[in-house]
Amino acid sequence: MASMTRWMRFAMCGALWLALPLAVAEPRCATDDLGQEVCLDAPAQRIAALSPGATELVWSAGAGDRVVAVVAYSDYPPEARQVPSVGSHTRLDMERLLQLAPDLIIAWVTGNPSGQVATLRQMGLPVFAIEPRSFAAVSHTIKRLATLAGTEAEGFAEAERFAAGIAGLQAEFAAADPVPVFYQVWDAPLMTVNNDHLIGEMIRLCGGDNVFGELDRLVPRISVEAVVAANPEAILAGGMGEENRHWLTRWQAFPGITATARDNLFFIPPSLVQRPTPRMLQGTRLFCEKLEIARARR
Amino acid sequence: MNPLQARQLVIDVPGRPAGYPLNFTIGRGQMWGVLGPNGAGKTTLLHTLAGLRLPRQGEIFLGEQPLTALKRRAVARQMGLVFQERQDGFPASVLETALIGRHPWLAPWQMESDLDRQLAEQALQQLDVAHLSHRLVSTLSGGERQRVSIATVLTQNPDTWLLDEPTNHLDLHHQVAVMQLLRAQAAAGRAVFMCLHDLNLAARWCDHVLLLYPNGDACWGPAERMLVPAALERLYGQKLLTVEADGKPVFVPVPTTGES
Amino acid sequence: MSRRLISPLLVLAVLSGLAMVLSVGVGSVALSPGEVMAALLGDGSDLQRTLVVELRLPRTLSAFATGGLLAVAGALMQVLLRNPLADPYVLGLSGGAAVGAMLAMVAGLGGLLVSGSAFAGALLATLMVFGLAHGTGSWTPSRLLLTGVVVAAGWGAVITLMLAISPAQQLPGMLYWLMGDVSYARAPVPGMVLLLAVCLAVIPFGRSLNVLARGPMQAAALGISVRPLEWLIYVAASLLTATAVTMAGSIGFVGLVVPHMLRLVLGNDQRLILPACALAGGTLLVLADTLARVVIAPEQLPVGVITALLGVPTFLYLLYRSR
Repeated sequence: MASMTRWMRFAMCGALWLALPLAVAEPRCATDDLGQEVCLDAPAQRIAALSPGATELVWSAGAGDRVVAVVAYSDYPPEARQVPSVGSHTRLDMERLLQLAPDLIIAWVTGNPSGQVATLRQMGLPVFAIEPRSFAAVSHTIKRLATLAGTEAEGFAEAERFAAGIAGLQAEFAAADPVPVFYQVWDAPLMTVNNDHLIGEMIRLCGGDNVFGELDRLVPRISVEAVVAANPEAILAGGMGEENRHWLTRWQAFPGITATARDNLFFIPPSLVQRPTPRMLQGTRLFCEKLEIARARR
Repeated sequence: MNPLQARQLVIDVPGRPAGYPLNFTIGRGQMWGVLGPNGAGKTTLLHTLAGLRLPRQGEIFLGEQPLTALKRRAVARQMGLVFQERQDGFPASVLETALIGRHPWLAPWQMESDLDRQLAEQALQQLDVAHLSHRLVSTLSGGERQRVSIATVLTQNPDTWLLDEPTNHLDLHHQVAVMQLLRAQAAAGRAVFMCLHDLNLAARWCDHVLLLYPNGDACWGPAERMLVPAALERLYGQKLLTVEADGKPVFVPVPTTGES
Repeated sequence: MSRRLISPLLVLAVLSGLAMVLSVGVGSVALSPGEVMAALLGDGSDLQRTLVVELRLPRTLSAFATGGLLAVAGALMQVLLRNPLADPYVLGLSGGAAVGAMLAMVAGLGGLLVSGSAFAGALLATLMVFGLAHGTGSWTPSRLLLTGVVVAAGWGAVITLMLAISPAQQLPGMLYWLMGDVSYARAPVPGMVLLLAVCLAVIPFGRSLNVLARGPMQAAALGISVRPLEWLIYVAASLLTATAVTMAGSIGFVGLVVPHMLRLVLGNDQRLILPACALAGGTLLVLADTLARVVIAPEQLPVGVITALLGVPTFLYLLYRSR
């Protein structure tokens, strides 16, 4: 823009002003994560969010006041708890969903029963399937949702804020010393993530080196011996709920692990990392802080 | 009536070499008794004659036709078998059990009519189990169950009766009644062929006897020629004392050592 | 047909009708009977018509067909194996279907391909058990049963393995398929047609089945061609079960208990029991599915839980009363 002459800038603004009424009349389109293009004639007014993650993302896009249906465990933001529930994301109460007359349905790619989602599509309801798998995808998803809901102002701003925050953290920790990290997703069975997972991206951003990053599966199930053999310098774990740190106590039985020896056993509230939503920014910050602590203890 | 005929028949007893080929006809009006110790193959012979088992050699004819050429339904209309052992998997009433004897006579989609029910009830009457019509067969005593089995074949009304130890579990009164019923069947032009473990029953009621030896030997013929003490002692490996009653021989087993 | 057969079937038919009416009339959205009628006739609001005609009606019919298929298959298995403890899954059919469906899910397929895969798996399981039980010479029911039980356990192991190594995000789908769920069933017509066809086919074979239940020797002595008839029962029961499992996953309990319950009340004439199983099995599953849909709405329960909860006390009561 800076290189254009003032004359050209005037022309462009004028053109935009002329185009605006046309833009309002054009359908709002976006392509979902299954490659389907969804177009709405008018901004969505009654949105159904079929997973807790989808609920959060719709709120982030600024369209929270238009959500008419959620599913079980849609606990964030707190306003979402007031919205009528239509079952669980793995088994929907179709009747209640239809009664709420949604004009846009946000489905989750994995998790929603394909049979029921297919029925919704057959009935002609617009179904937009999402599931962000990277930081960039989180921003992109918020923007797409905002487009469909007509809340571009709020939504785009939030997406930018998130991207900027991530970029900032990335810059801050780009040169940090790598810390071998084990992230524990679940306790029984013992599960972790590989480098392709969003949490894997988070670990990399903070200068961590996921000791199980090279494994093929996205969410591998591993053994305790494998963790002991990998000897991570820091162990980060979620837990059963937001306060329960007891998964970490298991590792205290293995003083041979560097992480245990230096007491680098850190609890990360799962809701901040296990849903691909803007709260991951807080989660990532927390992650990076913990790794810094680990570096300080060297 | 098509008589049942064995031609060069050798039954298949697993593990035993082929026995003597059997050649006999169970003619109309005849009552045959098959005698032999346990394991001689009496039940196997009966099942082979009924077409339920394959012989090792030889053939079985019903009239002019080999058994293998006939459809099972046609065979069932001419031949009935009273088994020694019964499998009662599902609960059934006595009347229902007798009624299945009508199966070979009914077309697949035909339901049992009043006539069929009458025939079954009459059969039960003859075997003195009519008062148990609505009882479940699983609740019957051994003797009552045996009589119901016979009533089933009576309902089936075949020309040839094959029976495997029909007097098992029966008290004396009913033993006699059953044998009289079978004799009446023979007198009416049918044929009766039964395995008996009680040799005196054969002596009293049968006009033809087949002796089956455990090693596969066999001999058959009119009763008075077959029921000689020497042959019978060899058959059972048991010393016998012969007594006469009512013009017919009665054989009493005698212990070989010790008491007289 | 004699009156003895007609009247219990009429009673069951009426009960089926009532159950279906209830199922179409009840749901997590309350509709008055008038509104339901209107929707069925093509009037009423769009929402009402969608709910009644596009959601509830196909689901009710699918539930009925599935329940009927399973109950009849169970009754046939019990005659074939001469064992009142047999159920449609005893020969490993549902295990094969489950593995077929789960393989399709792992491969990322959906909808009709999963159903097709389930059906193929069921038929493969049938052939496998039959082939293995055949061995040297002909098969007997006890050999078939033993082979089937072992193969079923084998499928169970494969299922457990698949659950253990499948990607975590596919687990919920697999588990719900294993639990059985009528909400998957989309097209009730093939199932209904098959059910009707088998019930009609039973009429000429019914008495033969009664005699066969007495034992193969007795049946042969009364003129039945035992092996061909047993083949036929095996194929019929397999087809029914494969269809049911393809429609709605492996719903347990219906195939075992419905034939039993009916036998306690109606006796053992297969000409009565088999059509009665179709009606009673269908009724049970329709009622169970209705409850599964509404009892803690909007949460939806798996229907297999409800069939057990409904069936067990009823069966125990009938058993107690029959002493």
